[in-house]
Amino acid sequence: MKNRVIDWIDQRFPLSSFVKHDLTEYPTPRNLSYWWNFGFLAGFLLVLQVATGVFLAMHYKADAGLSFDSIQHIMRDVNYGWLLRFMHATGASAFFLVIYIHMARTLYYGSYRAPRELMWWTGQGLLIMLMATAFMGYLLPWGQMSYWGATVITNLFKVTPYFGEQIVTWLRGDYTVSDATLTRFFALHFLLPFLIIGGVVVHLVALHTVKSSNPSGIDLAAKDNIPFHPYFTSKDLFGLGIFLIVFSIFVFFFPNMLMDPANFIPANPMQTPAEIVPEWYFLPFYAILRSVPNMVGGVVAMGLSVMMFAFMPLLDRSRIPGGASNRPMVKLGFYLFLLNMLVLGYVGAHPVTAQTLLIGHIATIFYFGSFFLIPFISKAEERWLIKRGLPPALTALMEKEAMEKSKKQAHRRSGDNK
Amino acid sequence: MKKSIVLLILCCASAQAWAAEAALQNIKVDTDLPAIERGLDDVMNNCHTCHTLKYITYLDLVKLGVDKKKVDAMRGDQPLDASLVSLMPDAAAEQTFGKVPPDLSLMTHAREGGASYVYSYLLGYYNTPDGVTHNRIFPATHMPDPLGMSTATDPAQQAQIRKTAHDVVSFLAWAADPHKQERHRLGYYVIGYLVFLTLLLYIVKKQVWSRLK
Amino acid sequence: MAENEDLGDAKRRKFLIKATAAVGMAGAVAACLPFIDSMNPSADVLAKATTEVDLSGIPVGGVHTVAWQGKPIFIFHRTPEEIKAMEATNGVIDPEPDHMRVKQAEWLVVIGICTHMGCVPNKDAAGWLCPCHGSEYDDSGRVVRGPAPKNLYLPPYKFVAADKIIIGVA
Repeated sequence: MKNRVIDWIDQRFPLSSFVKHDLTEYPTPRNLSYWWNFGFLAGFLLVLQVATGVFLAMHYKADAGLSFDSIQHIMRDVNYGWLLRFMHATGASAFFLVIYIHMARTLYYGSYRAPRELMWWTGQGLLIMLMATAFMGYLLPWGQMSYWGATVITNLFKVTPYFGEQIVTWLRGDYTVSDATLTRFFALHFLLPFLIIGGVVVHLVALHTVKSSNPSGIDLAAKDNIPFHPYFTSKDLFGLGIFLIVFSIFVFFFPNMLMDPANFIPANPMQTPAEIVPEWYFLPFYAILRSVPNMVGGVVAMGLSVMMFAFMPLLDRSRIPGGASNRPMVKLGFYLFLLNMLVLGYVGAHPVTAQTLLIGHIATIFYFGSFFLIPFISKAEERWLIKRGLPPALTALMEKEAMEKSKKQAHRRSGDNK
Repeated sequence: MKKSIVLLILCCASAQAWAAEAALQNIKVDTDLPAIERGLDDVMNNCHTCHTLKYITYLDLVKLGVDKKKVDAMRGDQPLDASLVSLMPDAAAEQTFGKVPPDLSLMTHAREGGASYVYSYLLGYYNTPDGVTHNRIFPATHMPDPLGMSTATDPAQQAQIRKTAHDVVSFLAWAADPHKQERHRLGYYVIGYLVFLTLLLYIVKKQVWSRLK
Repeated sequence: MAENEDLGDAKRRKFLIKATAAVGMAGAVAACLPFIDSMNPSADVLAKATTEVDLSGIPVGGVHTVAWQGKPIFIFHRTPEEIKAMEATNGVIDPEPDHMRVKQAEWLVVIGICTHMGCVPNKDAAGWLCPCHGSEYDDSGRVVRGPAPKNLYLPPYKFVAADKIIIGVA
């Protein structure tokens, strides 16, 4: 019976062929490590956030006079409202952790390199949409930190030349962050995740065109691929199990760990909290913003710091294939960059003092320096590695790629259109 | 390399905790009903005149397990689902103290240090020789000493005040998070189930991959 | 020999996968329950599920309307003449004896929603008249003229004192 229904559908819609081609029989490198689980986890978290978000939206009131109370109503009176809220709040942090690890994997293994540049750039777009969603979501509880965090960040748009003040007022819908801001942030916070879903589809179409990278950084022969099901379905589900255990420990036992105490106080436009601290996932970028003494410079630096990742495929000029495993300087640079992110996070979390300012300056310079130095370091490393002697497989691959590149160039120059 | 990164993360995470604990007395709130009920009585006697608990209703107290007759006596002719609004109107409070006393429903969450902060604050009142009362935890406070710690000289009296403060904070901790017990109970079941399921998934994964040549 | 072992392995593997799938499905279903339950009336809504009414303020012959679960409830303090008149008949369209519709004869407690299309009827000399389509009810809330098909419905209620009722519990 089931087969007859499926046959009926297959005559009208490529259901079975799609499932076979892109899910069950989809060729995946056999050597993928657990660092490749994080894309699936991110997809799971997207679904979880939308589900908890929609059910929360059934009870939440996006009105400056009602929102704080509506969240207490959810926490106290709505059946399992406390569970929905804690899953949504913890889910947001989990989403960023998973995405940052996913990005780190891509940087380490060189998965942003040709032909996967579009994957990296669609991912960049998704990251920005996620950051916008999280920023707007944080205003919704209308606590002290919500209000003042939104005030500080919307204020930054003042640096726009000529129209700065007007743009800030236009964004807020009012001269200060107010009820108008809250309602529109709610509308957009509800909308953006569905745009993110669209972006994820594009991201996955790109993936299925170029196929996954793998820990060696060098694309495997076709025979070394294995079908996605049952190998990676079972592996992804196991990874999900581990993730859910850690997630549940936070949701059920430490749900308030990441909640700033100031956000348990209703927003008071007449009084700013002693310290304005963003959520942990924004801390490094906040530190970079504060490191530049000039406001315009700070905003530009912060914006650039998020966008810098996009340039990676263009900055990395080495012809050594693969990722950090073949490239010791890249490996060192990667770990130092990670350490620097932690330092920036620490600086962002603490009030500005002479010490934190100095550390912040050094860390910011290191941050941008890492990116700007990649073209030179990648080339120097290439020369050094070739001199030192590469494994023959690598040399053969490089020669092949060089030959293909010169063939393409000759073809273009000859003016032949085929 | 990886170990030092973990260490760094731990240091950063705990730096916040270190800063608060320096001046605070760390306590663990009581979660049993008698303690919470003692705290309720203390709050109604010492705090409720000026402070509102707008997110706690008389019905919540009945559901907690407080005797319905006692709750009926407390609420008078207010309906059961009325919240614990303070007896002092805002304008009068502002005139007397210079500031409207903050709502207490979330107080143990709304301060760095949580319940320990509130406990230390209640006991942090002291008098200077010129007869002025201060608070060493929150010097800028407008609130007078509610439990009398600043004038208590007898050790037995001080011990009683400390006990009262402990009960008050236990009640306030319940008020800020009434579903905590339920959450923990559910948490044990959920995590237990997930550990079991993950174990099964691990075995399945290993089985599936063992067939790979 | 080897074939038998393989068959045994295959059976065990199939069982393991089926068992894991079952456990996983059970968890997924259980995970849906809080979402569904969150749509049920919340604690504050349930608190309004019962309404206490003090009857002492309603004079003989008077009608009082109170809200219960968002619906209007007519509380009618009937005179002895009205009670006698109501006990003498069972009503025309939806026969029902008067004593089945009251707990204490002098107090009529009915849901003030016309059983036709849901409008709220108005009190008149003979009972109630619905302004929407002209349905008429007697002093026992029974329909005497349509288009309403049924008598005014009775909410669950009980006397907790001589002059106090709780609407919402029988």
